[in-house]
Amino acid sequence: MQEIISDKNWNKLGIYPIVDEHDIVKVRSIVRQHAKDFRMGIVEQTRITTAISELLRNMYNYANGGDVVIESGDIEEHNALIITCIDKGPGIENVELAMSDGYTSGMGMGYGLPGAKRLVDKFEIYSEPQKGTTVRIMKWK
Amino acid sequence: MENNLDFKNAKERIEHIEDVLSSVAAGDLDKRLQTDIEDDLTGIEEAINILIEDLTYELKQSKKMKEELEDKLNKIQEQQKTIVQQQEDLLELSSPVTKVWDNVLILPVIGTLDSQRTQIMMENLLQKIVETGCTIAILDITGVPTVDTQVANHLLKTVTAARLLGADCIISGISPAIAQTIVHLGIDLSSIKTKATLQDAMLFAMKKNNQLFEGKIHLEHKEQEEDDK
Ligand SMILES: Nc1ncnc2c1ncn2[C@@H]1O[C@H](COP(=O)(O)OP(=O)(O)O)[C@@H](O)[C@H]1O
Ligand SMILES: [Mg+2]
Repeated sequence: MQEIISDKNWNKLGIYPIVDEHDIVKVRSIVRQHAKDFRMGIVEQTRITTAISELLRNMYNYANGGDVVIESGDIEEHNALIITCIDKGPGIENVELAMSDGYTSGMGMGYGLPGAKRLVDKFEIYSEPQKGTTVRIMKWK
Repeated sequence: MENNLDFKNAKERIEHIEDVLSSVAAGDLDKRLQTDIEDDLTGIEEAINILIEDLTYELKQSKKMKEELEDKLNKIQEQQKTIVQQQEDLLELSSPVTKVWDNVLILPVIGTLDSQRTQIMMENLLQKIVETGCTIAILDITGVPTVDTQVANHLLKTVTAARLLGADCIISGISPAIAQTIVHLGIDLSSIKTKATLQDAMLFAMKKNNQLFEGKIHLEHKEQEEDDK
């Protein structure tokens, strides 16, 4: 697991705090708009929006909220939409377990993290217990 | 007693007046003209001082008014936000369950499903099932833009609870994009009857209804025949 850092060459499109459920709805529609601006098709739009919805809900449910950074930039020879969710919550003790299908520590379905990973082109997660969690999803243009 | 105006002195004093006036023009309202000597210029000096005093007062007033206005504007904007929020909430909360025809309920779900709203929606539906005794319920999610695992979980729970009350649910309005996304998420919705469109769901419900009623009529006939015996 590697720490997640931003590339200076990326273009910052926005940063949004997640405090309540309305912020989830708001940021989700902002992400959908960026996907549209990126000329992604309806299926790709739905995928990235659903993936970010999972991450935002996790941040809200388990970490008492956090920040979302939306960027665009080049990764592995692709022009990508890059969305990073940063929280200062309790962190995840066992990331491998959290990433497995069906695992939930609460009342969820346990498909949020692994499902989000399957919905995007590149997925990164970094978590330190007591410090917080950062999850980044990327979708090629 | 009035002193005569001494020319040299007067020049200095006029320069002083000019100084003070240009300070005032520059926005410094703390300067005043000294009027210890009484002569022809004193009246002008006093008048200027009063003018500065008035100006200071007026400025203070308008600053106060500006602040009050800004305050009011902020409050209005705050209220406007609340109203928009409430309108959104109202729209989201209005999940009207209607009985479309005998035995069939329809619940069109519009907007985003957060936990609070889903709770209300679920309660409404279950309540209506109990009240009407309907055994088929269609949940149309055409108006739901994002189906993530939490929404799917709520839908599954609603369907299970309805089943416990004796009603079968049909979920309609899952777009192809959402269907694909659900598959990628890894959620299994195969335990739920789903239809692409509300129309499909209604046709399905109608058929099922007919079968049910035919069955019921048959049974009633039989019961009558038995009674006749
Ligand atoms: N941001 C986070 N902070 C702390 N724990 C998290 C975070 N995101 C996920 N988790 C943990 O990972 C588990 C799996 O998450 P997920 O796959 O989304 O399933 P679910 O949310 O349904 O439990 C969660 O139950 C929770 O314990
Ligand atoms: Mg989750």
